[in-house]
Amino acid sequence: MSKGIPLAEALARYRADADIAPLPGSTDIDTLLNTYHPDHLRGSVVKLAVGANAGDSCQRELAGLLQAEAFIDEADLAGSPVTDIDVLVIGGGGAGCAAALAAAENGARVLLATKLRLGDSNTVMAEGGIQAAIEPDDSVQRHIQDTLRGGHHVGDPTLVSALAGDGPEVLHWLINQGMQFDQTPSGDLHTRRAGGMSTPRLVHCRDYTGLEMMRVLREAVIQHRSIEVWEQSPAVELLSNEVGQKCVGAVLTSLNNGQLRIVRTRSVILATGGLGRLHLNGFPTSNHLGATGDGLVLAYRIGARLCELDSFQYHPTGLVHPSHLAGKLVTEGVRAAGALLVNGLGQRFIDELQPRDVVCAAILRECSEGRGVRVNDQHSGVWLDTPRLERAQPGLLEKQFTSLMTRTRVAGIDPRVEPLLVHPTLHYQNGGAVIDANGATTVPGLYAVGEVSGGIHGRNRLMGNALLEIISFGRRAGAAATADRDRGPKKVTLEHVNQLRRALTLAGLPMTQRAPQILPDYAAGGVWNR
Amino acid sequence: MTTSNTTANGDDQAQSVALTINGLAVNAHEGMSLVEAAWHGGVPQVTSVGCLEGVCGSCRIMLRRGKEVTVGLACQTFVENGVEVVFLPPASAPLHHYEVSDFKDGWDIQARFQDIFPEASRCRHCHGCDNACPKGITVENGVALAAAGRFREAGEAFFECVMCELCDAACPELIAPAHVGLFSRRVTAHFHLRPPNLIHRLEELRKERMENPPKDRRKKNNED
Ligand SMILES: Cc1cc2nc3c(=O)[nH]c(=O)nc-3n(C[C@H](O)[C@H](O)[C@H](O)COP(=O)(O)OP(=O)(O)OC[C@H]3O[C@@H](n4cnc5c(N)ncnc54)[C@H](O)[C@@H]3O)c2cc1C
Ligand code: SF4
Ligand code: SF4
Ligand code: FES
Repeated sequence: MSKGIPLAEALARYRADADIAPLPGSTDIDTLLNTYHPDHLRGSVVKLAVGANAGDSCQRELAGLLQAEAFIDEADLAGSPVTDIDVLVIGGGGAGCAAALAAAENGARVLLATKLRLGDSNTVMAEGGIQAAIEPDDSVQRHIQDTLRGGHHVGDPTLVSALAGDGPEVLHWLINQGMQFDQTPSGDLHTRRAGGMSTPRLVHCRDYTGLEMMRVLREAVIQHRSIEVWEQSPAVELLSNEVGQKCVGAVLTSLNNGQLRIVRTRSVILATGGLGRLHLNGFPTSNHLGATGDGLVLAYRIGARLCELDSFQYHPTGLVHPSHLAGKLVTEGVRAAGALLVNGLGQRFIDELQPRDVVCAAILRECSEGRGVRVNDQHSGVWLDTPRLERAQPGLLEKQFTSLMTRTRVAGIDPRVEPLLVHPTLHYQNGGAVIDANGATTVPGLYAVGEVSGGIHGRNRLMGNALLEIISFGRRAGAAATADRDRGPKKVTLEHVNQLRRALTLAGLPMTQRAPQILPDYAAGGVWNR
Repeated sequence: MTTSNTTANGDDQAQSVALTINGLAVNAHEGMSLVEAAWHGGVPQVTSVGCLEGVCGSCRIMLRRGKEVTVGLACQTFVENGVEVVFLPPASAPLHHYEVSDFKDGWDIQARFQDIFPEASRCRHCHGCDNACPKGITVENGVALAAAGRFREAGEAFFECVMCELCDAACPELIAPAHVGLFSRRVTAHFHLRPPNLIHRLEELRKERMENPPKDRRKKNNED
């Protein structure tokens, strides 16, 4: 099916010192996006038939999961052990840890349940950095403006001003927890400017910002006396009150032995992250193994409103090979440093520093019009011309992109002598559960923070705002959930599941598929019989 | 072009490699990581996997090649004929307990460290931790620096640590080097990172709040 120049031929043709023609004249951005961006692929978007977003557009595969059958029944609850706790946090990435710590700081007893190991997350992989308006010529106001503009003015201004306003305090809190950041010789926090920022605002810890954040928060959570952690314990369902309208707990399973456990609580904080591992529209992903959109499914089933379900961020430069790194990122910094994108004919085809969605669409255009480099029927891509960059700035790759060099070295590839074959990769879920400035969803008792929530980034997220969001809103939700003076549930039920089943039947939808996904099928061996 | 590109890309005729994972015989293709091989071979219950790029530290394995036994990360290790691979269970809960908020100031931090990690000064220099570390960190030296109160340098040694805790498992003295490393990094930031640009902005925002107190949403929410 896939067209393009066969890999061997393209490699033979490639020269790091070849003359490159200037870019062909201006591109019509709107047509490019409408024709090639995956969000606009024909048949990739459907209308939801049931639930709080009935009638809204939603990516097709995600819609299937949102309108799917649950895993469990009332019968499964009988006999399952019950745990009572003040606050239940679901998800052990950055947002979940920040929420758990804030709840514990405010006096709550917290249970943090996570699918894999604590810290296995998208957070740990973030390289670029975290945004906060701390430079003298920057301001919270500018941060707000940049974020709203970047999101194509779809973002919620209340949430965005909460986010930007929290920035400096978030850094203060992270440093107090023991997170390090790069400094200038005079001791200031070092800032960079990245896509969509009107001034330098990206604070970072070399190109390991997420790792540094995650290991510090993980340790802080493990060490905290009021936080209990259950690993390998994904949530498969939320629990509701008798009328199915308030969230009063969750049902967890164990990846080790399948044992169900019931947790009853005053508030549930969903922090389950993104959905790259659903491989929407057949795309590879930069996300960690557990990013299967479970939180969206659970929230939707209990009646929460979601937003921007048809808007996803595809990162332009995911690796095509080696296969074990398929979909993994080559950071935008490499293009920012001057690396060009070149098709199989050795031609440039787009200004590499256009916004992510534009560059992504341009690469897909090259591939579909037969100018890509073809690996096999499923895989093609274009060159990220790292050898040319190395010729222009010797030593730069080694010095500034340690993480990239370490990862490729393991596979015996040297980006300084051979170009990297790249293809867009599913990176970030722009939307999610609708929340207020406390992270509260439209369902009482249910909070959502981090990538699972929506409304901050509109239809496009700027680099560095996700790491800020998980701490800012994680802490807001942790505090708010603790302040809920509810006395806790009298009765926990699956009434909301029954209601959804009725709605699905009425809408004539099949109930053959079960959700949440928990693990991608290729990794679920011995754990699930879906 | 270079060989790696052609082998990595030309997986059509990839050679078959035979190994065992968690006791099961697996036939994998050359160039696969051990995680890919486990999935490919249908090995059940391989869920200690996260990032697939060597930064989360969860895919801990023990690897036997003939008589030689090593540990490592499955997503960063490639299939080889005849090796036996076992995915290790997650590390047990830490033995050392502290909260950074317990520390009053940096002056007694060395004493506090010795209370919390008394084993650290009993290192027997067996190199167990260095040999175990998949990131090539000089763990043993890091522990020595921490035991001497040189927390900034100790923390720097652990910069690329992915918290796989393989060094903890290797240590006969139960020193928990990974946690020593994190302690060192955390107290360094907690007591010494005082960036003027951030402090200045925090102060500006504090003054602004004093001059016109914001409507506190949280309070309002609780009232109604
Ligand atoms: C490669 C990469 C690079 C990035 N770089 C940057 C950057 O430079 N700057 C920036 O701001 N952002 C960046 N991002 C985005 C950012 O890292 C994420 O959006 C953010 O960290 C998400 O945090 P989170 O806590 O919401 O989700 P995660 O960190 O993904 O955590 C979610 C957790 O929930 C768990 N979970 C999932 N389902 C369940 C369930 N059913 N039950 C229990 N637990 C569950 C998961 O296992 C995981 O532990 C990057 C993302 C990627 C993938
Ligand atoms: S120092 Fe220890 S925990 Fe860190 S990467 Fe090395 S072995 Fe793993
Ligand atoms: S394993 Fe433990 S005892 Fe051996 S060198 Fe490392 S820290 Fe010292
Ligand atoms: S899966 Fe994260 S280090 Fe291997």
